[in-house]
Amino acid sequence: MKHIDRRSFLKNSLLTTAALSLPGGLAVTPAAAASAAPAGSAQATGLVDTNVNLFSWPFRKLKYSDTKSLVAKLKKHRVVEAWAGSFEALLHKDMDGVNARLAAECRTNGGGLLIPFGSVNLAWPDWEEDVRRCQEVHKMPGIRIYPGYQPFDLDHPDMERLVRMTAERGLILQVVFGMEDPRVHHPQITVGRVSSAPLIAALKNTPNARVQLLHFSGSVRGEDLNQLMKETSAVMDISRLEGNGAVGRMIGSAPGMTAGRAPVERVLFGSHAPYFPLETAILKLIESPLDAKQLQAIMQGNARRLLPRA
Amino acid sequence: MDARKFYLNPSAYGMPTRDELVAMRIWDSHYHGFQSSPQPIKQHQETMYYVERMGIERVIAFDVGGTWQRPLVDTDFETQKWEILVKDQDRGVSGIIPIEPSYPEKSLAKMEKWIRHGPCIGIKYSGGNEAGVSCNHPNNDPIIKLAVELNAVIYIHTWLKVGGTPPRSGGGNSPGESSPMDVARLAQRYPGVSLICGHSGGDWELGVRAIRPFKNVVLEFAGSDPHSGAVDHAVRELGADRIVWGGHGPSRSFATELGKVLDADLTNADRMKIFGGNYRRLAAPIFRKKGLKIVL
Amino acid sequence: MTPREFFINPADYGLPTRDELVAYRIWDTHFHGFYGSQTPLEQYTRNNFYVERMGIERSISLEIGGTLDAPLVPSPHDDAIRAILEKDKDRLSGITPIDPGFPDESCAKMDKWIRNGPCIGIKYVGGNKSGITCSHPNNDAIIRRAAELNATIYIHTWLKVGGMPRLPGRDNNPGESTPMDVAKLAQRFPNVPMICGHSGGDWELGARAIRPYKNVSLEFAGSDPHSGSVDYAIKELGVDRVVWGGHGPSRSYATELGKVLDADISRADRMKIFGGNFRKMAAAIFRQKNLKIEV
Repeated sequence: MKHIDRRSFLKNSLLTTAALSLPGGLAVTPAAAASAAPAGSAQATGLVDTNVNLFSWPFRKLKYSDTKSLVAKLKKHRVVEAWAGSFEALLHKDMDGVNARLAAECRTNGGGLLIPFGSVNLAWPDWEEDVRRCQEVHKMPGIRIYPGYQPFDLDHPDMERLVRMTAERGLILQVVFGMEDPRVHHPQITVGRVSSAPLIAALKNTPNARVQLLHFSGSVRGEDLNQLMKETSAVMDISRLEGNGAVGRMIGSAPGMTAGRAPVERVLFGSHAPYFPLETAILKLIESPLDAKQLQAIMQGNARRLLPRA
Repeated sequence: MDARKFYLNPSAYGMPTRDELVAMRIWDSHYHGFQSSPQPIKQHQETMYYVERMGIERVIAFDVGGTWQRPLVDTDFETQKWEILVKDQDRGVSGIIPIEPSYPEKSLAKMEKWIRHGPCIGIKYSGGNEAGVSCNHPNNDPIIKLAVELNAVIYIHTWLKVGGTPPRSGGGNSPGESSPMDVARLAQRYPGVSLICGHSGGDWELGVRAIRPFKNVVLEFAGSDPHSGAVDHAVRELGADRIVWGGHGPSRSFATELGKVLDADLTNADRMKIFGGNYRRLAAPIFRKKGLKIVL
Repeated sequence: MTPREFFINPADYGLPTRDELVAYRIWDTHFHGFYGSQTPLEQYTRNNFYVERMGIERSISLEIGGTLDAPLVPSPHDDAIRAILEKDKDRLSGITPIDPGFPDESCAKMDKWIRNGPCIGIKYVGGNKSGITCSHPNNDAIIRRAAELNATIYIHTWLKVGGMPRLPGRDNNPGESTPMDVAKLAQRFPNVPMICGHSGGDWELGARAIRPYKNVSLEFAGSDPHSGSVDYAIKELGVDRVVWGGHGPSRSYATELGKVLDADISRADRMKIFGGNFRKMAAAIFRQKNLKIEV
């Protein structure tokens, strides 16, 4: 790392502009970047956000809880498709009602951008019927579960069956590993840490399952992430990746790194909006030193492989 | 005040008048007039004031031939209850008897006495027992078989009380207290036998989905708080033909239980099914077998 | 890849370019470049890649002299870090952690590192063995000395939910201050500016706890980014009472910048939060130490 004094730091800053992404993967010169329309160039890669939720977070009125305002926000930041779950799925018991409202909302107010991901709750009876309805009635391409808030863990006896069912039906299964820092939970909420170990076992038994872990970063020592990457084909989103250069460190592209913890093909853009600011997730892509190919994969390519454009 | 005298006109408040309630032919499949009182006969007589006032056509008393806490032990009032059931049969009082699946033989004997040779029209699974035997246990097989033979109505108390560590639905149930999932398993074993899943499991969103696949199970939703939308949900998932009404008086108000149905967006025909038509269909065979008059 | 090389144009995604970030004049009041590593100097150097990439103008390191875990025990890296502070003084400042369990020793440390050293302020860390929070009378001597030195005062606060019955703050470490502790301290020293760090973690509660005390500013780094949090803080406190922290490298600048960019505020207000407010607070000690500062 070269030494920077403040004068040259500022001088260079003012002369330097962010480079544009180009199909060829080359960084452009500052001059070329400056000539590009700062409000956005038409050919810039759109984002597929694999992790948003609609409706009301139970503990706070979120800024973008209204679907139309969320869609406007997503569009403003060049999100071209968002996989939407429902905050209602956390605590509601009538899951079909939850899923029907989600599907209708995506249809009515989704601006052609929201893809509904319904939910089933393994602790509630008749969940298999909800899987069927999600696919056959609500035409959803996937299911999102929220263990912990939904009163079951991944060691639930039906977990393997859910993985198998979604695989057989060609559905994507998204498993949410957290919604909120446990230190600031409402005192009445006791949601424990979700362990991925039983999921890994289930995935090994159903290798063709298409599973994405949301808001997951692995344990501190990282054995679970290693195991997921080595022994399953599960993918993950970036919403829980934290620390400077976290996305780059995850895929091994940070300065000085020779290897990452997950191959770039297994990492998808996910913002956790509207609970998290959308800006945070996009800034992670800017902050981490990622080349054009890596960006294309994370922003859209990996998601499209999991779910081709509707 | 006379039971039929009102100083408030219900129709001015968007509610059915007494005459309209009467026209709905309401059968209360969950009547506790004889329950939990040192003077059950007096309590029954007092409760009948409200039965009359609210235009209920018939009540089905649950607490006959013992109590729900001790179903197989006669109280000092059983003779009087028997006489009331015989005397008031034509005036809208019927009864079903609590049984105890921990003691199938004794339960069978009680059914012989009170149903085959007595005034009662069905059995009730109570809210638990010391042995912890729920309605899904094999002990129930002879009970269900005899109930079928007698054309007896089968009512099963169910709840899903939250409790345990970690808390889960049903984790707070009493020993032997059945859940809708227990009813579902029993129904799967006896697909040709009609069963009533009582109280809707308390937690109706879960209870309804637990029994949904089993067409021989109907839902009754008395004895829990009135939640707006509950009956709409049940009708959507089960259809209007699989719901029966209970009043749970005097410990629950008829206002509570009627309100659940009036809240729902139903046709008058569907409302009548829920208020009584569906139950009458269940009970018709035993009414006819006993030579009792019944108009469906 | 160099820190200034990008394959994505932030403007295409509705976000400020690096030049625009630079123009915001971002001062990171919560910099952990030397923290939590066996090799803090290496970590600092490595993290400079991101400091430069994200256009941060100045970082205020919180662990100068000792460590956050043992504020009064000299660290083997103290001399080297002091040299870096001198070398990089045009983009790096430092504040020194104190321990209110030991007020005399803390004051002595302030004399060494602030009066006679390179530091510009003090930091209350996230707990201590004596269980003394910032509202304890022990702190009076420390605050008086800080005021005398024009030192900035940064107080780590959290409201971790826990205990029985569960309530916010009941899972705090011994000696870990809450925003309510800061409020009590602020009431005793109404003319001494202080920073309520981390917004108490639980910002809806933290902002309200300090609201009546105009001498308290809020800093909200080191917790998850919640959409709407900065809007809320401004509504309750006014934009002049909010300062920015990056909390890197353990938190991402993306996380912390995103909190401010999420807020519906004018560019002028954004500049106040990103640096202007802290510069106003630190101007006195910068000038006292003959350090250049453009507020």
